[in-house]
This record gives sequence, C-alpha cells and structure tokens, in this order.
Amino acid sequence: MRLTALDENAQAAGLKRGQGLAEARAICPGLVAIDEDSAADRRFLEALADWCDRYTPLVALEGQDGLFLDITGSAHLFGGEAALLSDVLHRMTGLGLAVRGAVSSTPGLSSAVARFGESRVIADSEIEAVLAPLPIAALRVGADVVQALAKVGLKQVGDLLEAPRAPLARRFGPHLLLRLDQATGLDEEAISPRLPVASLSAERRLAEPIQSEEDILSLAGQVAEALKPSLEARAAGGRMFELVLFRVDGKVFRLTAGASRPLRDGPRIARLFAERLTGVHDELDVGFGFEILRLNVLSHDAFDHAQGDFDGDGSRQQSLADFIDQVSARLGPECLKTYQLRESHIPERAVVAIEALHHSVSKPQRLPEAAPLGTASSAEKERPLRLFAHPEPLEAFAVEVPDGPPIRFRWRRLTHQVRRAEGPERLAAEWWLDGEGAPTRDYFRLEADNGQRFWVYRQGLYDQVANPRWFMHGIFA
Amino acid sequence: MARSALAQETVFALRETIARLEGKPIPALAAAQAQATADGQERERSGREDRPARLATGVAVMDEALEGGVPLDAITEIRSRAFLDAGVASGFAFALSARLQAGAQGGVGTLPVLWIAERMASQEAGAPYPLGIRGFGLSTTQFFHAFPNRIDEALWLAEAALGSGAFGVTILEVRGNPKAFGLTESRRLALRAKAAGRPLFVLRHAAQEEASSATFRFLAEPALATERRLPDGSMLGGSIGHPVFRLTLEKSRNPAPLSLFLAWNAHDRQFTCVDDPIRHAVPEGRAAAHSRASLPAAFNRQDPAPALGSLLAFDRQAGGRAGPFERAS
Repeated sequence: MRLTALDENAQAAGLKRGQGLAEARAICPGLVAIDEDSAADRRFLEALADWCDRYTPLVALEGQDGLFLDITGSAHLFGGEAALLSDVLHRMTGLGLAVRGAVSSTPGLSSAVARFGESRVIADSEIEAVLAPLPIAALRVGADVVQALAKVGLKQVGDLLEAPRAPLARRFGPHLLLRLDQATGLDEEAISPRLPVASLSAERRLAEPIQSEEDILSLAGQVAEALKPSLEARAAGGRMFELVLFRVDGKVFRLTAGASRPLRDGPRIARLFAERLTGVHDELDVGFGFEILRLNVLSHDAFDHAQGDFDGDGSRQQSLADFIDQVSARLGPECLKTYQLRESHIPERAVVAIEALHHSVSKPQRLPEAAPLGTASSAEKERPLRLFAHPEPLEAFAVEVPDGPPIRFRWRRLTHQVRRAEGPERLAAEWWLDGEGAPTRDYFRLEADNGQRFWVYRQGLYDQVANPRWFMHGIFA
Repeated sequence: MARSALAQETVFALRETIARLEGKPIPALAAAQAQATADGQERERSGREDRPARLATGVAVMDEALEGGVPLDAITEIRSRAFLDAGVASGFAFALSARLQAGAQGGVGTLPVLWIAERMASQEAGAPYPLGIRGFGLSTTQFFHAFPNRIDEALWLAEAALGSGAFGVTILEVRGNPKAFGLTESRRLALRAKAAGRPLFVLRHAAQEEASSATFRFLAEPALATERRLPDGSMLGGSIGHPVFRLTLEKSRNPAPLSLFLAWNAHDRQFTCVDDPIRHAVPEGRAAAHSRASLPAAFNRQDPAPALGSLLAFDRQAGGRAGPFERAS
C-alpha cells in the first residue's frame, strides 16, 4: 500500500507521494491513513464542476484534481478576469478547499501555473516569461520524459524554449513539443466540457437564498419570462427545460422537464417545474436555500403560433397537451404512453408504445381508424382485448393432432374445459428478424365452459417438434 | 303567508342542492324549477342541460334500470369476481366507450380515451391491446395508456385527467379493494367527474362489493358467446361469435338487482339482450368442436347408464352369482 495524497501536516513531516505505508508509519507513527476512494473523489470533483457552472457553462475535468473553466465571454459578468479568479478562489476556500488557479489564454499554461506557480492572471505578453522558470513536469508530460530530460540537464521549461526543436522531437517524441506549443499558444488545445451547452439560458442571482417551493417557482417563472424574447427571436419554443439550483453550500440540483409542445410562456414553464418538484420532493434537500437559479433550454422546436378559434377545439388540444406535460413532469415521461402500429404480423410486434410526450398533439401520427359503423371488417383477424407481455406457458391435454386445439388445458393452476374452439390461425415467424429456425405459431380462440375466451397458441408444428409447447397469449372479452 | 312561501323556497333550494350532490333528478323538483323564473337561474340550468348526461345502452330493460343510461358525469364501477374474468370486465368498459364514440355525445365521443392501469393488473390480466380494441369497435386513434406505479399515483392521474377535461372516457383499473382507494377518494373522484362532466369507469378486478361513490356498479361475469351468423340467417354451430356479458346491476336506485345477458356487436356498436344463453350453449345442427356430454350421467331411472370402467373376461367361479363378466374397478 502506498500513499496517494498528503495533507499539509504530512508534507511537513517529510512524507512523499508514492511512499509505502509501512515506511511512512515508521517515519511518522501518528499517521492517519484513509483508504483511497477514487470514485468518491471523482464524484466530489464533478460536484465542484457543477458548482463552477455559475461562472461558465463550459467546465471540463482535468485529471484527478483539476478543473478547466472556459471563461471566454463571461469574465466581464464578474468584473474582469482578476476579479473572477479571486472570486473563485475566495469562494472555494470558503468551502474548505485548498485551491489554486490561474487565468491565461491557453489551458496548458493555466494548468502549469496553477499547479506549479502562483495564482494569478497572465497577460499574453508575459507567457514565456512566466513559463520559463517552471519545472518540466508542469507541461503535463510523463514522468519518464521528465527524468530523461533531467538527465541531459533540461530541468525548466525555459531550457526547452531555448533549445533547438528538431533534436528534441527526435529524442523525446512529438508529444513533448506538442505540450510545449499548447502551453505557449502556438498550438490549439480544446477542452471537452462535461455537459452540452444549453441553447439558451437565463439565471437569477440572489442576495438572500430562497427556500420555499413557491419562491423557487415564481422565480423560475420570472426567469422563463426573461427567456421569452430570445425564444421569440428564434421563432422557437422550448421542448426540454432544465432548472439548475445552486445551493448555498455548493450543492447543485438539476431538474429537467419536458413539454409535449414548444413552450414560451413563463407561467406554463413554471407549472412544468411545479409538477416536477412535487415528483422529486424527497430528493430535493433545500438545506439553507438556493442562491442561484438558472433555467436552461436544452432543446427547442419551431413554435407554431396558435390563433384562437371560437369553437373551443384549440383549448381542448391545449388541455390534452397540458395533461401530458403535467403527468410526464410528475411521474416521468415513461408513465404515459400511446400506441403506433407497425408492419408486422407477429401480435406483440405489430404495436409499439411510444411516450406521449414525443407524440405530437397538433399533428398526431394516428393509428388507422376503427372500422366505420356498420361496415363489416371481416378481413380483419380477431385479436384479443388484452395481451400478455410475456406469453404464459400452459398444459394442454387431449390435443387433436396435428392441427387441432386442446380439449382441456391447465393455466395458472386451474383446469379449463374447452367448449368451443376456432382456429388455427397460423403465424410464421419473421425469419428476417428471428432466423430461419424460429418456430411457427398456431393460434386458437378457445371458449371455456364458464364463458371465458382465451387466445392460445402452439409453438411449433407436430412434424417438426416432438412435443410442442402451448402458451396463453391473450384474453378476449 | 309570505313567510311560509319563503320557507318553502328554502326547502326547495336545499332539496335541489342535495339532489345535485347526489346526482339524481327529482321529478317533484321539476315543477319547482319551472317556477324559478329568475334569468340567471334559467341560464345556468340550460347551460347544464344542453349536454346529454346519460349514455344509453340501447337495451330498454337496462336503460330503464339505469334511468336513461350510464351517467356521463359520474363514476360507474365494473367489478369482476376473479382475474380470470378481467376480459369480460374490460370488454364491457370498452364497449361502453365504443358506444360513446359512436354516438359522439356532445363532442365528448371524439375525445381521446385514457386507460389508467395499476401495474399489478396489467401483469395479471395483460395490457390492453390496440389491435384487439380496434376490432372491438373502439377507435384507437387517440388511446393513451398510463402506467402508474402506486395506487395513489393512479388516483392522482384519474383526478388530473378528469379535471383537464381532455379525455372523453377515463378508465381506472385497480386490483381488488385497495385501502388507499376508499370512500373518501372515490367521493373526491366523483365530485371531480361531476364538475368536469366526464365519465370515469372504475374497473375492479377480483374485488368485493364495497361502498363507493359510484352511481352504478356492475358485476361482470363471463357467458358463452353467441354463434356466428351466416349470410342466410342461420347460425354457424360451434363458432365463437359476439361476446356475451352477464351483467348484474349491483348498485343502483332500484333495490332489486337486475341481471341480464348482453351480447356486444362490435360492427354496429350495439348491445342486444340475449334472453336465454343456454340456447346458444347447445349447438344446433352441426356438432361443436368438442361436443361431449359434460353433464353428469342420469340416475334414478329404469335403465341406468352403466358405471364407468372396462369390462374384462374373468374365469367363472364356482358359486359365484355374477355373470360371465366381472367388473374391474
């Protein structure tokens, strides 16, 4: 077992990273060692990244213990780069963290200075001057490269800046020069933000944290109203919204809510979250309140302007859309479904359930109509009213071989005497999906002595399978 | 004199309120209502009455017992004794919904249908199958299926659906008599249905009779289906035609429970009363698929049927009074 991280006291006692635990205990008998939990460290870093969302939506993780913030275009909101940096450092120290940071025009330089130098803002003109005195390790290259460079007397970045490039590349590989160029800004380096950037977002910062649900919702409504001009400018309405709540102590909650039709109206967006808040009530720990509230529009669609009509049909569609939104926000989108037909003769494949939220209310992709009154739809096969998701095996007795129905069968521990039977309706497997060997099903409608009507099938034919199995697939009215 | 008239008016007003709460028309009140000449009252009443509040089943006996039909602004409960009968109970609910759609009562019939199924019910009796429902006569263009996890979620869904007024029919399917769905909750739903003017069908599978705010409660039991009608008017023996429900009106204003057999014709969206289901049970002409005697053997007759068992030839024994054949049991 080895030491992976040290606090200040341990460093003062002369312990080093990578040292064996036994050796460390010998040096420092009072050592308190805690097992490393890298997953928990990762979660903590991600929580911090969430917290940093308040400065910019572009936050990326760097290694085990670093965060990149792309503050392009957001620094002025906090009074400039220096003010932003000091704000980050001040607040994070307030959270009880030892933190260092740097602002520069390249991620490489910021990382190098933050880890090996003083916390500061570096102007473009002083990049080389700042970089030169730093150790090679600051360039984020492997320990073996650092050692090899040290052997030839190159210990500081300044040594590399002056050295000819071709021999360096030949001897130490292109990676070293890439890192060097990335630090000086000669080469591009992209950071990969954790979360996709919302297409639109608006936020409100509060001097006094809010705790009650009503406050959160009324504020969400106000923020949503602030988004309205931007949505109008795009002729769009939001389909998926995210409410980000920053708690005073640094915890960040994200609530998403979808709408079945593009929304733009502040109060209606707030109502989505009213249902969502009710749904997650237990998980949302308000603590000492929220200090920042942000509303993101994750996806938006073209907004179709509804013109009011007099017959009230529009309001009915609206109420259906409202109901779908309400249910999807409160119980989750998978709670309310509607059906679409598919080209398939296998009963369970012929119908597919889709979430009602994605089912456009204004332009419904409809199932074909039921047969109009009075017309005979005898061509249509009889299908049961209720279908089992998983066909249930049953024991069939006294079956007419090869193509007949059973005379008696046993299902769910009850024996049913068959009075009448219709069938078979032979449904071959879909070989293009199930493969050549998939068994054929022979469906029968059976009526039991008591009057219950069942839909059962025999899997496989008698000349192909020695002892075909029987299944209950549905029940008729 | 004036005082007694005033008192009478108060009594009438109270009676009317009670009648409205209970959802029943009182003939005696009609005269009093006719006398109420205040414009506001008149307008309010006509606003309430332009919507047909009943869905006639089309069967005279049933409609009479239901005072015109299934109410469209209240709860109607359909109960089955066991999960095995879930098909019949849900079939009756779908048949009523199909009649509502076919009649398109005041625009209510064109609205979507919402099916709220408790999870256990779907596992035990299967999920509604749109192709089958379509074949049953109910348009599934806008059929919504809600999957609540718990009974309180299901109740909330039903209440929200009724309140939104977006659904022509809301069907709530529960298993048995859950504690969380008692008289209070049922009353709440009934009031919501009343206010919204939308029907709620409560399907209780494998349930007991229980006090609830439903205006009517049916017990649905399976019955043998009719046979298929051939083009020449005769019946095709051994075929399974229109489904038949054995319905018992357990709860209504009529104290005597009414029980009858209704066959559902999905093409015409019509119920027909079947008087004698036994007639359909015995196939005429052609033999049924498995026409075996399922009745017990007759007894106490001159020439009783021989007991079951096979006859074996045994050696004749001395002194034995038995015939040449002994019965082996």
